[in-house]
Amino acid sequence: MKMKKTLSLLLASALSLSLLAGCGGGNGGQSTGGSQPSGGSTSQGAPSGSGKQYDGVTLTMWSMWSSGEPQANVIEEAAAAFEAQTGAKVNIEFKGRDVNKVLTASLESKEKIDIIEDDYQRIANTYPNILDLTDMAKAVNYDSWSYACLNNQVIEWVGHLNSIVEQPQVGGVFYDKDAFSKAGITAEPKTWAEFLTVCQQLKDAGIAPIAQDSAYCNFAFYHQLVRYLGEDKVTELDMNGGWSGTKAEQAAQDIIDLIGKGYFVDGAPDEFPASENKIGFGQAAMIVCANYVTAEVNMQTGTEVNWGLFTYPAVDGGVDNASAYGGANSLAVTSYSENAQAAFDFIIFLTTGEFDQKMADTAAQIPADSRNKAPAALNGTVETLLAADKPMSWCAGINANADLKDTIKSMCVELFEGKYATGADFCKALDALY
Amino acid sequence: MRKNKAMIFWFCMPALLSLVLMFVYPVCRTVLMSFFRVESVTATMADWSFYGLGNYTKIFGSTSFMTSMKNMLLIWIVGGVFTLALAMLMAVTVTSGIRGKKFFRAAIYMPNIISAVALATMWIQYIFNYDYGMLNTIVQFFGGDKIKWLGTDLKFWAMTGSFIFGSVGYYMLIYISGIEGIPQDLYEAATIDGAGKVHQFTHITLPLLKGVMKTSVTFWSINTTTFFLWTKMFSPIDTESSTIVPVIYLYDMVFGGKGITTRDAGAGAAVGVVLTLIIIAVYLITEQLFKGNDLEY
Repeated sequence: MKMKKTLSLLLASALSLSLLAGCGGGNGGQSTGGSQPSGGSTSQGAPSGSGKQYDGVTLTMWSMWSSGEPQANVIEEAAAAFEAQTGAKVNIEFKGRDVNKVLTASLESKEKIDIIEDDYQRIANTYPNILDLTDMAKAVNYDSWSYACLNNQVIEWVGHLNSIVEQPQVGGVFYDKDAFSKAGITAEPKTWAEFLTVCQQLKDAGIAPIAQDSAYCNFAFYHQLVRYLGEDKVTELDMNGGWSGTKAEQAAQDIIDLIGKGYFVDGAPDEFPASENKIGFGQAAMIVCANYVTAEVNMQTGTEVNWGLFTYPAVDGGVDNASAYGGANSLAVTSYSENAQAAFDFIIFLTTGEFDQKMADTAAQIPADSRNKAPAALNGTVETLLAADKPMSWCAGINANADLKDTIKSMCVELFEGKYATGADFCKALDALY
Repeated sequence: MRKNKAMIFWFCMPALLSLVLMFVYPVCRTVLMSFFRVESVTATMADWSFYGLGNYTKIFGSTSFMTSMKNMLLIWIVGGVFTLALAMLMAVTVTSGIRGKKFFRAAIYMPNIISAVALATMWIQYIFNYDYGMLNTIVQFFGGDKIKWLGTDLKFWAMTGSFIFGSVGYYMLIYISGIEGIPQDLYEAATIDGAGKVHQFTHITLPLLKGVMKTSVTFWSINTTTFFLWTKMFSPIDTESSTIVPVIYLYDMVFGGKGITTRDAGAGAAVGVVLTLIIIAVYLITEQLFKGNDLEY
């Protein structure tokens, strides 16, 4: 009987242990970087004796990419090169796009992470325990090759620089240069009047001027609103109502006029990515989006569109006729990292020179190092970002009201569907929500 | 006997511990959180500030939440009627002795083994597509004008239809297992008495399937309240009011969205509590409706 009792206790213990083992170590991502345990962030291993700067240092990076993606491949390659050069091993855990769902909790509990990778706005405004990188950045003269508009934005949000740009983004009107040539258009439009002329020329040449997916209707209309009113005013109206009687009516009317003149491609606003693909198929010429649209369209349609970019046109009487959407995926160091300098050095290693160029070329992205060259599909993007003073946000003004943002998004789609007879009607419908 | 009791206790311990740690604790914490102002879902209780029923007032005063509840109700009622009726029809057909029973059963169940992401992509890109989608090809074949199946007017119904397509097979299997459990003698006796197939269905199959139907309604209610992925697929980038459901509202509240960094875990918890109460209410109502009607055979 004693034997039976011991056996039952052993079985119960084994069950408990196996359950606990199952619960533990739930990092959820794919880890690379050899057989190091994923939790081992900044453990000091035995020096290899090769005398390199960071011998024995192990860094842990949580990436927003999934293993096998072009960006992930470049990061892995850079980590291997960094280890060979400095002796520091970088364990990369590819968490995928939903890394933001687990980062806050992990950083709050000071999980052993040295480097995180995510949207720069979230790094600035959401995540705890992020290191101030101002001094480190100064020491490497970061300002000399990075984009001031993005850095300034981070400083405005946080009060200091807490992330290093890895994959910058810029928005505006992306267009097919060949379609412009075919229509005899020689100069990019700078004003709304010039834009309308370009649209007519394209239409006359048998090319639909504008592609529009419903997923980006709010983003496209936001540009027009910001031109007329500026982001602060849009945010104020979004929170409190009072759209009627403002220039928002004219902004909406401009979109309605575009529909009336037949400047949108057949089917617009279409379900993403059907409409943007029409640029790849040679059926449409322009789209208001961010730079990733070029890679998306090229990949989805199997073509190499001869892309160009111009800043969203200025409108008559507009209060913000120059800003362009700017954003970034950035890298940051945790404030509790035991090897912050090594982590920062790896970030700079990855976002400058050879590996930044490789990232730009293989993942079709804007280089983080402005001394590098953008891929052909993104010609003009580096210059646009360097020239920008303050970036426009991703619809922050019309997303400010959490209770209404979904309804307003749908109303923006309806606006592009031609459901409103006038801009005044649209604004009246908006005001009815408050 | 005493020793046996101890053994039972020790064997139950792992399961009990797991239940308490992984189920009871999160549920209690969520309920508690719904009465506090909490920004981050992982914030320590020291950072919570008491808010009373503030979170509940907030969500029930929110246009987005009320729209999401309306959408969920429509999916539950309309989707439920179509899904459960179609599943019943197919289950009865498949078990009626037709040839190729295994093939039909596998074919109807197939959408359940395909990833919902792939299924939704197929519907969006190949069935509803404006230019080359199957539906518009049929419409044009009959001389009609192309329809914007994914425009703001029809998107909700397009999404619900796709969801029904993906769900029917699952409920059909439940019904098949119920029907196959009914003794054949009953049908044989009914046939000898001159009852037709319709009479057999209404007087034998349906009454004896009440228990299974009760389970189906509960499962459907859970499926509807946890509806998430189809909305994400039908409104990528940003949520739209035509496809929003409470879980999406909760998700946006707790984690923010594209370009949105404000979070409200307290309101998210309140949404979670409301959804749980809805499921409990539906379960209790269903129990009452089918009470005392259990037939033994």
